[in-house]
Amino acid sequence: MTAPLSGIRIADFTVHNAGPFATHLLAQLGAEVIKVESAMRPDAFRKPHPVYGRMGPATFDQVSAGKRSVRINLKKPEGAALAKRLVALSDIAAESFRPGVMARLGLGYAALRAARPDLVMLSISSSGQTGPDAHFAGYAPLFGAWGGLGQMTGYPDGPPVEMRHVMDHTVGMNAAVAVLAALHRRTATGEGALVDVSARAVAASLLGEALLLAAAGTAPQRVGNAHPRMAPHGVYPAAGEDRWIAIAVASDSEWRALRDLVGDRALTAPRFETEAVRHAESATIDAVLAGWTARHEANALAARLQAAGIAAHASWTTPEIAADPHLRSCGAILAVTEPDGTGRAAVGVPVRLSKSSGSGIHRGTPRLGEDEDHVFGDLLGMGRDERQRLEADEIIY
Amino acid sequence: MPPPPLTGLGVAVRAEGVAAAYAGRMLGTLGAEVLWIEPPDGSPLRREPPFLPGGTSAIFAYCAAGARSRCCDLSREDGRRAATALLAQSDIFLDDTPLADRAALGLDEATIAARHPDLIHVSVLPFGAAGPKAGWKGADIIVQHAAGEGYLLPNGLSVELFPDRPPVKIHGHFGEMQGGIAAALGALAALRARGQVGGQYVDISSQDAMLAVGAFAIQRLGDGSVEHRVERSFRYGGVLACADGYVELLTLEQRQWDGLVALLGHPAWAQDRALADGLERSRRGPELNRHIRAWARVRKVADIVREGQAAGVPLARYYTPGDVVGDPHERARGLFSKVDVAGAGPLAMLASPFHFDGAALPLRAGPPVLPAEAPVA
Repeated sequence: MTAPLSGIRIADFTVHNAGPFATHLLAQLGAEVIKVESAMRPDAFRKPHPVYGRMGPATFDQVSAGKRSVRINLKKPEGAALAKRLVALSDIAAESFRPGVMARLGLGYAALRAARPDLVMLSISSSGQTGPDAHFAGYAPLFGAWGGLGQMTGYPDGPPVEMRHVMDHTVGMNAAVAVLAALHRRTATGEGALVDVSARAVAASLLGEALLLAAAGTAPQRVGNAHPRMAPHGVYPAAGEDRWIAIAVASDSEWRALRDLVGDRALTAPRFETEAVRHAESATIDAVLAGWTARHEANALAARLQAAGIAAHASWTTPEIAADPHLRSCGAILAVTEPDGTGRAAVGVPVRLSKSSGSGIHRGTPRLGEDEDHVFGDLLGMGRDERQRLEADEIIY
Repeated sequence: MPPPPLTGLGVAVRAEGVAAAYAGRMLGTLGAEVLWIEPPDGSPLRREPPFLPGGTSAIFAYCAAGARSRCCDLSREDGRRAATALLAQSDIFLDDTPLADRAALGLDEATIAARHPDLIHVSVLPFGAAGPKAGWKGADIIVQHAAGEGYLLPNGLSVELFPDRPPVKIHGHFGEMQGGIAAALGALAALRARGQVGGQYVDISSQDAMLAVGAFAIQRLGDGSVEHRVERSFRYGGVLACADGYVELLTLEQRQWDGLVALLGHPAWAQDRALADGLERSRRGPELNRHIRAWARVRKVADIVREGQAAGVPLARYYTPGDVVGDPHERARGLFSKVDVAGAGPLAMLASPFHFDGAALPLRAGPPVLPAEAPVA
């Protein structure tokens, strides 16, 4: 038994988050991912970003773990030629520059396809490779804004909410799906593919039902934690400072179970037996419910509610998630050892396969150029002299 | 033009919730033939509001577009036989039947594996099919909070304005859809391994999928920092209120900051030499934001975005759903396909966020009506 993508090689030119997360997921599924950077232009996420209010490299470790690293100076023609030699030995080339950058470097789809005729090329960008906004610069909160997700998220009487890294990473996970679909076709037909993923379209795809309502002439509005049908439905205070529990009551029988657990006379009115009434009077019910939940520890209460058949979960903090034995045992949370020996928690690929093994993260963040002996030496068959010359000429740089 | 990538692939879907349904949608828009196996009264997803004019559920219409449908009453022997016949013609089976109900319906892992050794059997549940919470119920809000992102929202301007309110979830079915995307990923990964190991069981948990896309909170824990929604704000920029709506502003690179100063018209406060340093800007974020917000408040969104993007400043309008549907950029890229929705007529529906080989992936049809075709007996 091997990992499902063993034998697949990816020349990875992606930077920032969305692209690197796509190839990171594929690496976890067994692909050999070779990350291409240079000392002159390292991935921007190897650098600190003060706008986040922190000086350590932002988040590079999570999306780089499990990858190999080489230096190629793509600004020089010989660097582009070297990159093409790598692509010729790869099944997939992935990039996430602004549209047009790869072509200007001599590494557009046509050029790479000449080097590898059945290549699957993945291009991820904020607005896609074509269209009037293709040149727009963007990051996760901007994808979320363009796609409509930011506008539809938040308190009904407040401003829109900016999407953070979940937005980047869902773009990456979507892209990984598209790449596997392209590989499937390559197996069936021998044809490669150009896969163009628009991050703002991914954001929009996550509210397709609201877009459909808009297309039908309605104007969907932000509803906060409310649900169009369920009531009660929301986030309620639990015992302790800044502790919360999410509860979603999906049926009349679940309502009766909840009402009996709460045991408050205010909830026994017969009209509350009807979902539509509960929904219309949810403010009244929520006030009583919040008074009850606030007296209970969140995790214990969630277990009690689930035992009674009601969907509930504590609003988990990151330390609670990292410490959960089940998430550890199933590989959702992994222990990773960095090259310097330090350990940390990371998230696994959210796929558990009964017959394939070997998924996960087997090595930490690569140092810049750490794998050049393997990639330039073993794979490309470059001798010491050639590598030294390319280093002297700042091609391998 | 080569065919859509999953042409010829057969996907059977038994979905009560959004996660499994969305996985089917993803595979279908990539070219697979998707067949819903529904109970005689239809999937419960058909009954989820809000409804389109004419009464079709918007989320069902979105998730089932392009699929066919067959009714099979799995509480009866003939219904189970019919489902077995349908699965025998399928490559992938996506199922979100609660674990406790599967054996009686012939849908448990062992039964499926024995009858269909080459089938990719994908279980899609809120907390997965193994572990202490395998039987727990979920909903989108539950998934978002079990995976940590729920606790971290809202951030930025919203939490600044309402610091004492409960956390607020991401719109719609975001967490459940992550389960669906992971299910599509798992299905295609298992498909790739089928030549070597045959069919297999793929266990998908929406909690795990949502947790995976929230990766950086876990990452930062390893750095020694615990994220909290109150601190999870950009030090300057973020959501800006304008005269006629909101924009998002995020400058990560020095040249983008320089562009912003130019966009602001080189005001006196921005001439402070200390602000050339990113760290100093970070330290003085609230002060910068006072200036930036005052500037934005009296200007129109369209002007700010047009001039900002021209100056290389990452700025975006907060689009409403109607804005997205009418967006010239998305129209040029063919993001929407006109499909028939029963009772509502032809509607523009988002097809796929992917282009293959330079072209959009179109939707083939709207959602199937019930009964779309005669029940299989």
